[in-house]
Amino acid sequence: MSTLLPFHVSITDKLCDPANSDLLLLAHGLGLRRIVCKLLQIYHSSQSLVCLVNASSEEENGIGEELNLLGCRSPGFTIIGFEIDKKARQELYRRGGIFSVTSQILIVDMLQSTLPTEMITGIMILHAERVSALSQEAFIVRLLREKNEVAFVKALSDQPEYITSGLAPLRNVVKELRVQHVYIYPRFHDEVKQTLEKKRIDVIQLLQGLTESMKEIHGAIIQCINSTMSELKRSHTNLDLDDLNVDNAYFRSFDAIVRRQLDPVWHKVGPRTKQLVADLATLRRLLTYLLAYNAVAFLGYLDTIQAANSVTTARGAANYQSPWLLTDQAGTIFREGKRRCYSLTTTKQVLDAQLDEDEEAWEALDEIQSIVGGRIAGQGNKQPVWPKGLEPILEEQPKWARLVDILNEIEEEIRSQQISDTPGTNTILVMTATSQSAATVSEYLSTCDRNLQPGERGRVMMERKLRGYLSWRAKLAEIQGSNKQNDRADTNRHAQGTTAISAALLKKDQEKAKRAASRRRVRGGAPDASGPTRAGATSATAVEEEDFIGLLSCDQDFDMNYGLVQPEETVIVRAYSDDSDDMMLMELRPRFVVMFDPSLEFLRRMEVYRSSNPGLPLRIYFLMYEECSEEHKYLLGLRREKNAFTRLIEEHAKMPIYLGDARTESASSDVMIKTISTRFAGGKREISQVPSRVIVDMREFRSSLPSILHASKLQLIPTTLTVADYVLTPDICVERKSIPDLVSSFNSGRLYTQCELMSVHYKHPLLLIEFEEHKSFSLEVHVTEARPYAKGKGKFPSKVPTNVPEYIPTLQEKIVMLTLAFPRLRIIWSSSAHATAEIFNDLKLNNPEPDPERAVLLGAEENLEVDGGANAVAEELLRSLPGITEKNVKHVMGKVPSIKEFCQLELAQVQEVIGVNPGKSCYDFMHHGDRGGTGSTP
Amino acid sequence: MSGTGESSNVGAGPSRQPQKPPVKNPPVVTPGSGSNIIVNQRQRKNPLLECIKHGREFGDIVADFQVGRTTGILFLSLKYHRLHPEYIAQRIDGLGTSYNLRILLILCDIPEHQEAIRELTKKCLINNFTIIVAWSNDEAGLYISSYKKLEHRPPTMIKERVDKDYSSIFRSALTSISKVNKTDVETLRSSIGVWSLSDLAGVPLL
Repeated sequence: MSTLLPFHVSITDKLCDPANSDLLLLAHGLGLRRIVCKLLQIYHSSQSLVCLVNASSEEENGIGEELNLLGCRSPGFTIIGFEIDKKARQELYRRGGIFSVTSQILIVDMLQSTLPTEMITGIMILHAERVSALSQEAFIVRLLREKNEVAFVKALSDQPEYITSGLAPLRNVVKELRVQHVYIYPRFHDEVKQTLEKKRIDVIQLLQGLTESMKEIHGAIIQCINSTMSELKRSHTNLDLDDLNVDNAYFRSFDAIVRRQLDPVWHKVGPRTKQLVADLATLRRLLTYLLAYNAVAFLGYLDTIQAANSVTTARGAANYQSPWLLTDQAGTIFREGKRRCYSLTTTKQVLDAQLDEDEEAWEALDEIQSIVGGRIAGQGNKQPVWPKGLEPILEEQPKWARLVDILNEIEEEIRSQQISDTPGTNTILVMTATSQSAATVSEYLSTCDRNLQPGERGRVMMERKLRGYLSWRAKLAEIQGSNKQNDRADTNRHAQGTTAISAALLKKDQEKAKRAASRRRVRGGAPDASGPTRAGATSATAVEEEDFIGLLSCDQDFDMNYGLVQPEETVIVRAYSDDSDDMMLMELRPRFVVMFDPSLEFLRRMEVYRSSNPGLPLRIYFLMYEECSEEHKYLLGLRREKNAFTRLIEEHAKMPIYLGDARTESASSDVMIKTISTRFAGGKREISQVPSRVIVDMREFRSSLPSILHASKLQLIPTTLTVADYVLTPDICVERKSIPDLVSSFNSGRLYTQCELMSVHYKHPLLLIEFEEHKSFSLEVHVTEARPYAKGKGKFPSKVPTNVPEYIPTLQEKIVMLTLAFPRLRIIWSSSAHATAEIFNDLKLNNPEPDPERAVLLGAEENLEVDGGANAVAEELLRSLPGITEKNVKHVMGKVPSIKEFCQLELAQVQEVIGVNPGKSCYDFMHHGDRGGTGSTP
Repeated sequence: MSGTGESSNVGAGPSRQPQKPPVKNPPVVTPGSGSNIIVNQRQRKNPLLECIKHGREFGDIVADFQVGRTTGILFLSLKYHRLHPEYIAQRIDGLGTSYNLRILLILCDIPEHQEAIRELTKKCLINNFTIIVAWSNDEAGLYISSYKKLEHRPPTMIKERVDKDYSSIFRSALTSISKVNKTDVETLRSSIGVWSLSDLAGVPLL
């Protein structure tokens, strides 16, 4: 159980009064979860009903666990998801307690009175930084306040730097949530400072330089980012793109900045600009991968980038070569990337430089691969053999050697101390940025030979990775070959060859694995890190590639971490996560922590950990690459957080006090005027007691339109509609499409089917094309796209044949086609969601109200138990499989609980669900891949 | 009818009977035949005509543009509509029940379009008109010519497509999951090979 520090206690004291509504802004890593849990514990009782909104699934689990420890068992903490149906939810709500609900479900339940609003004791909103006027949280608070004035709203956030939108960002949040008090606790808050600085933590900061080739790659990537960015600026001179600089490019939010700048014109920019923006993201990722991945994995990633860029999309559209790939710097990146792994000293003509572009080179690599396989099979269990001419270099990440030195030092220290009367364990905790790098580090530690020189210790692992890479590369080439309709028989033969080898190899691998003894007990490693295994066989490498490409899931090493191994003298490698790190620290109680990657948040956690464990001698090693993006990023992150807090404190000081809601009173009088208006039959008309109703599809609650409709005094009836998204009157139904939706549903043909359905069931089918507020209200495509900047283009004009793309219809032409196909279809052009609400109100005027029961039944073949907004991602994924169409997708979803299970069905079962022929094509697609066409059935 | 460059018609346009043929240039055509777009005389001076990249002729029709046997287009510039809000109502009335597909092509050339479009939406719903909004003469011209061009085209290009090659289905299936991009698909494909989603996290359907 986590202890509360003095400042935690004072925050909880201020927040806990259920009569007030408050907003708390806390700095990163100061333990927001403890406060959340403490508050929930206070509110927990069977008489109360508290809803926790906005928690991610990890947070839900973490909070649930902690509450369990705090003794909140009955009625306890319940997580409500889509899988619990309406009746069960109603029952649960009646029992009371604490519920973690997604905002979508909560809105629907409040509207349908599944959850009577009067029953709610309070709502706790996490991630308050995401709240805006159109967000679902604002809608929830509005729904709550409509009928319930006494319930509390507690909003909490530990990422205040995101509260930046508009002139008065903090005030907007306060206004939408209708809270009275705001508490701001930055790290430099007096109470926090006093608590944490009583016992300073002992941090040893180690700056590590990059190797020569890493430096070169790093520089080249920065240059590529720069040129891509200037290209972007050049093609959009009318935009204010001053924020675009390399400093910002280090952060993930950079994409958001670019998008925000381009958003007003986003649906109008050509594929070129989109490509440039995507390139920036790729380059930023490269920058992080350069520091995080090992050399071989990095090279593998570079290869995938190239492969993905050489694939031509079937549509032919939107496939532009990324301009940065054509620059000299890109050449440097690829060359140095390769040089870090191996060098080719072949006499075989020109194999080195253009290895990537050449068809021949691919084949050569294939050949190399088969040589590798052959040699290994022939020579058995001796020294690793490399294909002729291939000299492995295998540069290691400089931090690895440092880490080993640090571990040695720590061990020395542990040995010299011996006395164990101090609290804490001798467990050494190594923290990395991602679980992927955690896996690499632990694999390195388990295989490294400490007697060797730094830089060569991980030779065994690196060689294994390189072999994995080579065979993967051969496979990639194979795929590309088949993409280009190569001789299939040849590749098959090749595949057979490798499997034959693999059988023999596997046996040897197993023997070797048995003999492999780890020098050091390492937990939390990759599953196959038991010792050097021999690769070259496709079956064996599959596992390896998985970890070096980054598929290793977090849970795996989580399980391993909490296995029953003696805590003494172990090294645990973990990735940073959220507040659950606090729990982990409490459980492990380490005395030595190595921060392999810099993280401000975790440093704070260490401070909190130190303060809540008095007497524990804590030492932290803080590793950071010098003079590169990592250092910049860390320092910038520090500054940004500080600035954000200063700004918020300033705004808070000037903020007017929020008193109650004036809107409710004025609104009611508004309704009065409306109902007795003389406009309608001279005021004689019967005043209808029922407010105007609109039937809304569950899935629409993800968008902001329902919230706005509700604000415009329309009563919403959420149901699951098969046909259309909104039903306004018995005759009018509306399918809403935002611009990206419109484009994609035209492409998939989904819109056509939807219109077909609407036309069958309704007299006036409407297509609502909704533009976004603040974005331009226009469909025109920018014609002034700048020319590509790569100079090389002029030199080889004929090399890339401008394969004249097939005729691509414009969006306008598609709209024309749609109206020609459905003459009864009307289109609403709406410039924003607010405009839509007005139009809806207008259309409903003097028209009868829709009947929800009829609307639900229309078009539904069976009354499927689809409740609470089905999983749209899964639906989309299913739809893209062959054999599954718009019409049967709902049916499939009713029959099969998850995609995973759908994949595991037998052929006959699939055919039973979707019919014989579609079933077969779908099954073949899922289980036979490319070779499905041969028609073999198991 | 456009507000710009058509000074002679601006005042008279709304009051003139649409059926009345003009005195000069009497091009007699039977509406609906041929591959030309038939243009109402009153649009003669509309700068929009320059932007229609398609054969056109003037004819005696009730709509402004006749782009098919059963398709008629009325053109309205919002700038003009602001000055003469009654004009479009008269034109719509004049159309009676002719044409199967009736289009109101709106040129959105004022910044305060919201109110006008809302009101026109309602009017069009009652009168069975479909609204198309264009933001420039070029775009309006594109719409008009596409109507003619696509008149007899089957709607295959917006229908659901089936059966493409394996790799493109594979790619589109995986990229439909958010956060998966083209590069990731290549990675997955080269390392796992066949579609075996059971290896990935099981996505619950409901």
